Amino acid sequence: MADRDVERFERTILPHLDDAYTLARYLLRDEHDAQDVVQDAVLRAFRHFHSYAGGEARAWLLAIVRNCCLTWQRRTRTDRNTIPLTADTAEASGPASDQLAIDSSERAVVTRALAELPPEFREVVVLREVEDLSYKEISDVIGVPIGTVMSRLARARKRLAALLGAGAREAS
Amino acid sequence: MRCNECRDALDVYVDNELTPDEMDDVRAHLAECAECQSAHREVVATSQAMRAHLVRYAAPDVLRARIRNALAEETALAERPAPKRRSWIQLVAAGVVIAAASSALTFAAIRYQSPSTRLTNTVVASHIHSLVPGHLTNVQSTNTHNVKPWFNGRVDLSPLVPNLDSLGFPLLGGRLDDIGSHRAAVVVYGRRQHVINVYSWAASDRRTREPVTSSDKGFHLVHWTSDGIESWAVSDLNAQELDQFVRLLRTVR
Repeated sequence: MADRDVERFERTILPHLDDAYTLARYLLRDEHDAQDVVQDAVLRAFRHFHSYAGGEARAWLLAIVRNCCLTWQRRTRTDRNTIPLTADTAEASGPASDQLAIDSSERAVVTRALAELPPEFREVVVLREVEDLSYKEISDVIGVPIGTVMSRLARARKRLAALLGAGAREAS
Repeated sequence: MRCNECRDALDVYVDNELTPDEMDDVRAHLAECAECQSAHREVVATSQAMRAHLVRYAAPDVLRARIRNALAEETALAERPAPKRRSWIQLVAAGVVIAAASSALTFAAIRYQSPSTRLTNTVVASHIHSLVPGHLTNVQSTNTHNVKPWFNGRVDLSPLVPNLDSLGFPLLGGRLDDIGSHRAAVVVYGRRQHVINVYSWAASDRRTREPVTSSDKGFHLVHWTSDGIESWAVSDLNAQELDQFVRLLRTVR
């Protein structure tokens, strides 16, 4: 690959590294796994960069990250369907800990509710509400028709609303 | 528009993904239906709760450094002709030959090197090894007060671990490494997507030696001795910023 292509890759793809890492964090729920998978995904993106035909670079990268996450999960298969209780305390050591302390309870409720969703619901919520992708982009990233994106998102929000309602009642 | 049609379209309406005509239809229905209004409020509240409370993570410096390294390796590989597919027996055989040849070469090369070149090579090799996933730190912390005590009882010195975060050199953690016959305390800093490893061990004498800059395989190194501690800083960062880093490391308390 010529230097020019490397430079183009660094300019178009690497600015979306935070988004890639965020998606991997939510799908894998482990920061070390997320780092490994994102590194792998970026390397794959680099190898297949010639097949990138322009357009939404972020969605293109996120599609690769998502596939790598699924492959990773299939390979490791240890069931991590439960979120560890320490997730919030571990993050509290980060630089934003002051801010976290303020809204930690509400944030914890929301994060737990998201974690309780089945993976196919969780990913559409993250892609829509965190990554702020359009329906068309989400449909490209996860490879399903837009109608499926719509129905999954609507059902995911109904479940979340129920979980958040339950959480709010517990807290009061 | 009927209520069931409106309910089906609510999420798409909230996400602003309906056609302009459909948006108008839903808006008109909501204006006159209290039950659909309440359903609408719930969708909006759920969406907003997600947006307000779900964190957007920043890719850590270490990950950026690892990616940069992996890309550099990848381009170096790509410049060689593409290998043909071989059977695994051939691959194993090739591996054995390469391993034997390279260790013989390394052995030969080491024998004819001056001690300081050998030390430089060892430090650079250790730096490269540290960039392998999971090898950078034994104690991973951005807090001086976690990293400095970690070395107690593990090495026979207490390395400098100033907080240089506000100066653009975040602390990433610490680890131990063997450099030749020395057990080195390694303090790891970041600079944008670069990693800086600072190796320290007890010097053989009390002489102070001012920092000397060198480079090897594209990495920059700074070597100095003071207060009975011999130190090496190594990074793929440019030489100027690495010098600046070493000055800060030696002065900031």
